[in-house]
Amino acid sequence: MTDICRPFTIDSNAKDPLFSAEKITWCPGCPNFSILSSVKKTLNKLIKKGLKQENIAITTDIGCSSKIYDYIKVSGIYGLHGRSLPTGFGIKLGNPNLTVLSFVGDGGIYNEGISHLIHQGRYNADMTLIVHDNQSFSLTTGQPTATSQKGYKSKSLPAGQPDPPLNPAKIALAAGMTFIARCNARDIEHTAEVLEKAIKHKGFSFVEILQDCLIFNTENNLKDKLMYKVEDNKDKTKAGKLVEEYDYEKQDGKIPIGVLFQEQKPTLTDKWPQLKKLKDKGVSWRDK
Amino acid sequence: MRVNILIGGKAGQGINKVSEIVSSVLVQQGYFTFNYRDYPSLIRGGHNFNVLSASDERVGSIESKLDFILALDNNTIKVHEKELKKDGKIFSPDDFEGLGRNLNIALAGALIKILGIDKQTLTEEVKRQLKNSEEAVKAAEKGFDSQEKKFNLKKLNNKIKIMTGTIGVGEGAINSDIDLYLAYPMTPATGTMHYLAGKQYDNNFMVFQPENEIAVVNEALGASFAGAKTMIGTSGGGFDLMTEALSMQGISEIPLVVYLASRPGPGTGVPTYSTQCDLDIAVRGGHGEFPRVVIAPGDPIECIEKTNEAFYLSQKYNSLSIVLSDKHLAESEFSSDRLPNKTIPVKVKRKIPGEVITKASSYEHDEYGNTIESAEITKVSQENRVKKYEEIKKECQNFQMIKVYGNPKAKNLIIGWGSTKTAILDAMDKIDGSVKTGKGNYKFLQLLYIKPMSNEVEKHIEQADKVILIENNLTGQLGRYIREKTGFLIENRILKYDGRPFCCDELKQEILKIK
Repeated sequence: MTDICRPFTIDSNAKDPLFSAEKITWCPGCPNFSILSSVKKTLNKLIKKGLKQENIAITTDIGCSSKIYDYIKVSGIYGLHGRSLPTGFGIKLGNPNLTVLSFVGDGGIYNEGISHLIHQGRYNADMTLIVHDNQSFSLTTGQPTATSQKGYKSKSLPAGQPDPPLNPAKIALAAGMTFIARCNARDIEHTAEVLEKAIKHKGFSFVEILQDCLIFNTENNLKDKLMYKVEDNKDKTKAGKLVEEYDYEKQDGKIPIGVLFQEQKPTLTDKWPQLKKLKDKGVSWRDK
Repeated sequence: MRVNILIGGKAGQGINKVSEIVSSVLVQQGYFTFNYRDYPSLIRGGHNFNVLSASDERVGSIESKLDFILALDNNTIKVHEKELKKDGKIFSPDDFEGLGRNLNIALAGALIKILGIDKQTLTEEVKRQLKNSEEAVKAAEKGFDSQEKKFNLKKLNNKIKIMTGTIGVGEGAINSDIDLYLAYPMTPATGTMHYLAGKQYDNNFMVFQPENEIAVVNEALGASFAGAKTMIGTSGGGFDLMTEALSMQGISEIPLVVYLASRPGPGTGVPTYSTQCDLDIAVRGGHGEFPRVVIAPGDPIECIEKTNEAFYLSQKYNSLSIVLSDKHLAESEFSSDRLPNKTIPVKVKRKIPGEVITKASSYEHDEYGNTIESAEITKVSQENRVKKYEEIKKECQNFQMIKVYGNPKAKNLIIGWGSTKTAILDAMDKIDGSVKTGKGNYKFLQLLYIKPMSNEVEKHIEQADKVILIENNLTGQLGRYIREKTGFLIENRILKYDGRPFCCDELKQEILKIK
């Protein structure tokens, strides 16, 4: 018994070194294709600038968002529903030198895995969380998640969702996260820019990408007209106002996108001398 | 020679300190000790007690009748008086007034005098354990001087070490060059987290306490994937929360070692007491069908050895190893003159992220880790998991999967596992010296590997006229599992499920009752 799975060969001369030949099974026209483009654009740019492809590791949840595991050629774990974030955090504990991206859907992170999300504000591991928020459980056919709007009728709640949605950006700010951003899935360029900033940020980066689902909860789609880009913000008071502007429900008013808040705090690696040592030596525990 | 000493009082009065001083002095004199800790789920007040059993021969349990009661409060006398032997003696708190917090030290001093050990040995031990506190030494001397010598314990030539299962598991992990220990507090597994946390800086590993048990196990899989030798620890309730991820371990094949220390369930149960009620979940917890190893050490030295084997097997086969213990083994203080076997080196040999691109998945996957749903690959992957288990099974033959004590030719076969081991050995010697002499009427088969189970188990059962199952649970979980593996139904069962361990004298009577 040796390797967990057979390693992939790296073709650094390829036009797209992240290319995966796996068949994509998202619905035609799904905004997840745009998110995949943004992610690959960002990672390819970072690879060109010197980030080693083998130093990237992703974790994914269970849900449409998490199919992205198969579509990018980087190391990773296809985790359990709601647990992509602790799995990614675990990779960071195992080797602080890796660039870790955890992908999740709104159901996985705001419902099943909300406890993990809140605590990441305290740990401040240098990693990036990417939330594909389409405001419904789509792979299980459209049940409401914590960010579905009040009144949303689905097969599990035919009388309509009686409860108001959570405001995850506000939660992220209250939890003490050091990088909070929101993106529009359809804006590939802007999302890629924000993702680059998130990955470069020293600490935990929370990036929520608002996306339509073309099949379920479609009444919540086409919010682009409400979105406006903000300048990168480092002021906490202003951040408090920005996260209040959108309540994940209303169809008028404004939705700020971009870096809503950023600050510097000691990271997980700064706080644990054992991890610091691995970081300084550039190794995983295996070669401690 | 064997004495049983109960030390009782309110939580916070320093009961454990008395046991520590007395045990340490006795062990220095070459005597074996066994200390059982009984405490309810509270921090200050209530009624806690330890029972310390000491002998010039190996001892691994307590007896139900007491020679001494060291009472730090009068309630202790009220509760335990009826357990005292006719010629037994009670030390009352009223005998030592005005000592305040050092009452416990005076009681220890009084007992040491009765046992016939010299004053200097006592005061040196008190100084060592209480940072040279003059008041503590004075209290010890006051206690010592108040009594007359009753025994005359000569110094024996035994080299004995005191250890708990908690420390045994921790030492086994350190010997295996552990990198990460992750746990959420839960009695009785927490002790190992505390022990390892204290050792992490000197031994270059890390102990981390995540937000909950589900985070513990998923983080452990992430860290192990990245190259860290990772162990997690919990009790039954926490283990239940982890089982989805244990199942993910089965399909993703990320190495993982789990320490499961039981306490009586169901539910919150009796959280600070002991049981062997979690064999079933250790063997079967988690959906789907996948290989695993479940090892149940029976004393702290075996905890060291078996934790090491658990690490070795999990790294070699990218598999799940569960070290199964309980409160009695974790927290009782055992003494032993046996040294652990040589450590097996544990190495991470697989390629890891950072040097290659590699994947691991909770979905059924192809050889690269890409998601598949085809019937063909699903079938082959399922079969490969069974094949892997067969390989693990073969490798386990290299280790002590069982141990046999007593007369190897005896027709009365006792079967047990885990923390009941040392009480069974003591009871057998009480009956006819089977263990000491290797002659008597009894043979004890200890199962160390629950899964895979040794093929020898069936042979021993076939050779026996009478088979007796002894377990600290209600339904005889090992018995059921043996029946599943061998078809043999063990009808004679001695089961105890009140949260308390077996006393060896009571166990002797139970064994003799079986005709």
